[in-house]
Amino acid sequence: MTAHRPLSRVVVLGRDADLWLCVNAIGRALGPAGVQLVAVELPTRLTPSHVSATLPPLEAFHAKLGIKEPSLIRATGGSFSFGQNFVAVSGRSPGFFHAWGAYGAPIDGSAFFPCWLKATRHGLNLSLQDFCLTAVAAKNGRMLLPDEATSAFGRTDYGYHLQTMAYVGYLKTLSATLGVTTHEARDVGVERDDNGSITALTIEGSVRVEGQLFVDATGEDAILVGRSLGVPSDSWRQYFSVDRVLSARAPVFTSIPPFAEIRTARAGWTALHPNRVATGVVHAYSNGLSSDAAALESAAAAAGVKLADVSVHSVNPCVRSRVWEGNCVAVGGSAGIFDPIHDVGLHALQLGIVHLLSLFPVTEQFTAERAEYNRIMRSYCERIRDFQCAFYALASFDGDFWQRARGQAVPEPLAHKIATFRARGDVAPMENETFSPDSWQAIFTGLGVVPESWPPNIDRISPNRFQEEFRRALNFIKAKVLEQPTHGGYLDSLCRSATA
Amino acid sequence: MGEAIRDDNGPAPFRVVIVGGGTAGWMSAAGIRRQLRTEDYSVTLIESDEIGTVGVGEATLPHIKIFNDMLGVDEAQFMRETRATFKLGIQFCNWNQPGDCYIHPFGAFGEPWGGVEFQHHFFRAQLAGHQRFALQDYSYSVVAARNNVFEFPNEDRKSIRSTYAYAYHFDAGLYAAFLRSWAIERGVRRIEGQVCDVGRHPTTGDLRELTLKSGERISGDLFIDCSGFRSLLLGKIMGVAWQDWTHWLPCDRALAVPCKRIGALTPYTRATARRAGWTWRIPLQHRTGNGYVFSSQFINDDEARDALLAVLDGAAQGEPRLLRFSPGRRDRAWQGNCVAIGLASGFLEPLESTAIYLIQAAVIDLLRLMPRPGSGADPRLVAEFNRLNEMQYDRVRDFLVLHYTSNGRVGEPLWDYVRSMPLPDSLVHKLSLFRARAALPNYQYGLFARDSWLSVLVGQGITPTGYDRLADAFELPALEERLAEFRNRIQTNVDVMSTHGAFIADYCEAQATASEGAAA
Repeated sequence: MTAHRPLSRVVVLGRDADLWLCVNAIGRALGPAGVQLVAVELPTRLTPSHVSATLPPLEAFHAKLGIKEPSLIRATGGSFSFGQNFVAVSGRSPGFFHAWGAYGAPIDGSAFFPCWLKATRHGLNLSLQDFCLTAVAAKNGRMLLPDEATSAFGRTDYGYHLQTMAYVGYLKTLSATLGVTTHEARDVGVERDDNGSITALTIEGSVRVEGQLFVDATGEDAILVGRSLGVPSDSWRQYFSVDRVLSARAPVFTSIPPFAEIRTARAGWTALHPNRVATGVVHAYSNGLSSDAAALESAAAAAGVKLADVSVHSVNPCVRSRVWEGNCVAVGGSAGIFDPIHDVGLHALQLGIVHLLSLFPVTEQFTAERAEYNRIMRSYCERIRDFQCAFYALASFDGDFWQRARGQAVPEPLAHKIATFRARGDVAPMENETFSPDSWQAIFTGLGVVPESWPPNIDRISPNRFQEEFRRALNFIKAKVLEQPTHGGYLDSLCRSATA
Repeated sequence: MGEAIRDDNGPAPFRVVIVGGGTAGWMSAAGIRRQLRTEDYSVTLIESDEIGTVGVGEATLPHIKIFNDMLGVDEAQFMRETRATFKLGIQFCNWNQPGDCYIHPFGAFGEPWGGVEFQHHFFRAQLAGHQRFALQDYSYSVVAARNNVFEFPNEDRKSIRSTYAYAYHFDAGLYAAFLRSWAIERGVRRIEGQVCDVGRHPTTGDLRELTLKSGERISGDLFIDCSGFRSLLLGKIMGVAWQDWTHWLPCDRALAVPCKRIGALTPYTRATARRAGWTWRIPLQHRTGNGYVFSSQFINDDEARDALLAVLDGAAQGEPRLLRFSPGRRDRAWQGNCVAIGLASGFLEPLESTAIYLIQAAVIDLLRLMPRPGSGADPRLVAEFNRLNEMQYDRVRDFLVLHYTSNGRVGEPLWDYVRSMPLPDSLVHKLSLFRARAALPNYQYGLFARDSWLSVLVGQGITPTGYDRLADAFELPALEERLAEFRNRIQTNVDVMSTHGAFIADYCEAQATASEGAAA
């Protein structure tokens, strides 16, 4: 057996959340195992209008980084989000709530969804979201604090709306305890050896930072994996019609909704991400169909308020063809750019970091790890892409933008998933999914896909049992929601406890 | 559906016709009868007493309990009637070096510490020279199996006694008979007979009607081919091509013979590597099942027969029966209105007792994707069934090939061949990841779980050169203490368990008749 040098020196180059989440995760997990970490920080590109809307798994990731929820919420102007409320500005399409929690509870051992599906075909006039505890709580401005009864009913997951600048500052402060060497840099040079491996970064032409493994957390710039190593991206343009995004800030809501709201209009969609400091506004559109000025008007009209701190940037969904190339691993924006719907960016970053940790090389010989990392990250990214594509492929809203969105290509695994759902309400199980079957069912039905049949085994359950169980579920939800504190009240007490 | 009779209440019952009455046929029939209403689905099963069933897999995997529970079967009664014993795992002997034995248990190894999987801590201690114990010593079910003891798993998730599952060894013929009476009581129509002609739709090619030797004609809406290796409908009539996997799994024959039971009742199957294949030993209440799975390229039938008879525990009960097979699967298990379940859709040697599991998985998927009364098979759902079926077979295949490719039997032609044969890419990748860092395959659907991979990878003598770096964050002395504490916890709990034999006698002993004792 050839002895390879242990891998013990890692350099992370990047900025903002990509950099600091990475530094905290690697530093905290591998510092005690003897891995030395150097962070090279590029200037921020954030503005006060940026709000990070996060997916539920971030909570568990934060816990591993030693982040306590009250202090995080307090420091970042943060609030809770139980899902995404989709509404059509025109009022002509019914809206729907895509909750992070579970929809309904099993009936006599059968999944809830097909039972609901069959009942609606027989005249039940209640939407899927009426059976979702967290959706009902959120729409009533309430929290949902889980207890034994709610856990038996189903998952009550949530995400956050955090002021991104404050969040990044919080992460940076947190990393100070880890003993990570940090350099600030504006201009970074890359040194490579004859094999093409990166050997060192040079900062402003003077400081030289050597490493064995380099993490590219530079976002869309992809300074290492793209510019230096020349790894191309595989474009997902054919699947998505959003190519431009406007970010802005709206005033804080007097009563902060515990969810994101996605308002769809003829020329695109506008997301409102409320928190305790402001409301982040994101407007997504297609440049060929609306000018930036028209987009600002649409965004302001959809938000219903005047917008501040407006910035506009283009978005080109794609995935790096190899996210780990040579001795360089791309995480976050340098690994892939996602469509802005469903707020998956931070989650994709988390996936990149978590899998890097679980495959962190033992020595400088890491061919197997690299192959596995590239395989698994590709798979995760594609399943997220499919979920996002489903939204555009199935949305029936009026307007040029939506017509174009519906006309985009549909990846083959998604086409299969839509087909089995249409046929039977079945969500084809696939590996490496980010979104649960509940999420798939929520968006499919929310967007008006009506399955043609249901699995025949639920026909054993009598209509009376359905009635009974539906009534029981609705009563349970109503009673549980009334027990809950309001979102505002809960945030106040949480922030008070964090100062105490 | 032109010929279906309609009444005012909706479509006529959807007619499911099952061809073949082995384990696959009766599991399909029972599953449908349990889950689907008789007014919506009729089930007819055609079997012939003249055609013997293969009686696959007298050893099972823990999933079968889910199936039996779904049927509402009383476990003790089922065990009595099928002469069943409990199974905590499979013991593999001589696969690596002569005299080597390891158990692939239906249970966990150790427990994760600090969010790091157990095997990383284990290999860290081992590579640091601080490990005098084998991985096997960290599995509760391995230690229980070695001690020939049994107890039901505990439901308290914090208890070490919850870290395993169990399966059964049973007489597959009796299991099929058990399911047959269960299903017939609940309205499955059984027809004794042999199919001699098949009528198809002239344009779609769908199956419409089977003609039996008796002249009776059976029409149906969906045909389940459980005809075994013959693949009477899917293979012969629908012409779905066979993917041959002999280049990865060279064994193509088996000789099976029961023998008298001698000695303590072991709660595990044994699979012993031999010159041209391997022999199984499956302990039942009333006898021990034995067989030699071999490659006809490396041994002839007579030599194999002699080799098998030479290794029996007790007197053979009859002459060994020869089975011929080829490993692989059909390109599609479901085509048109014909779906094959069991050996008619694919065959993998019984090394990991997967045959009944594969039947069960197919039945459960079929129930989800079954056409509804008044409609035909939906190509979208057929595609989904085939996708899942393919995944199941491919994953089991990689796991089986692992046993062969990593053998240590140098100098024996079969074993030299399988050690050097080209492997499926998916397996090469899994092996290289384990070798580099003790990482285990990570997938959610299908067999096998991570601890299964771990047991066989290590059992076959593959040692990783590294482990997850996160394990280095723990102090070695503290780790050693935890390892010792875990071994003690296993031993303390195993010490109070009943012997497997006593447990069976108390719980589900069959009242064997005199004639059965001697039956072949």
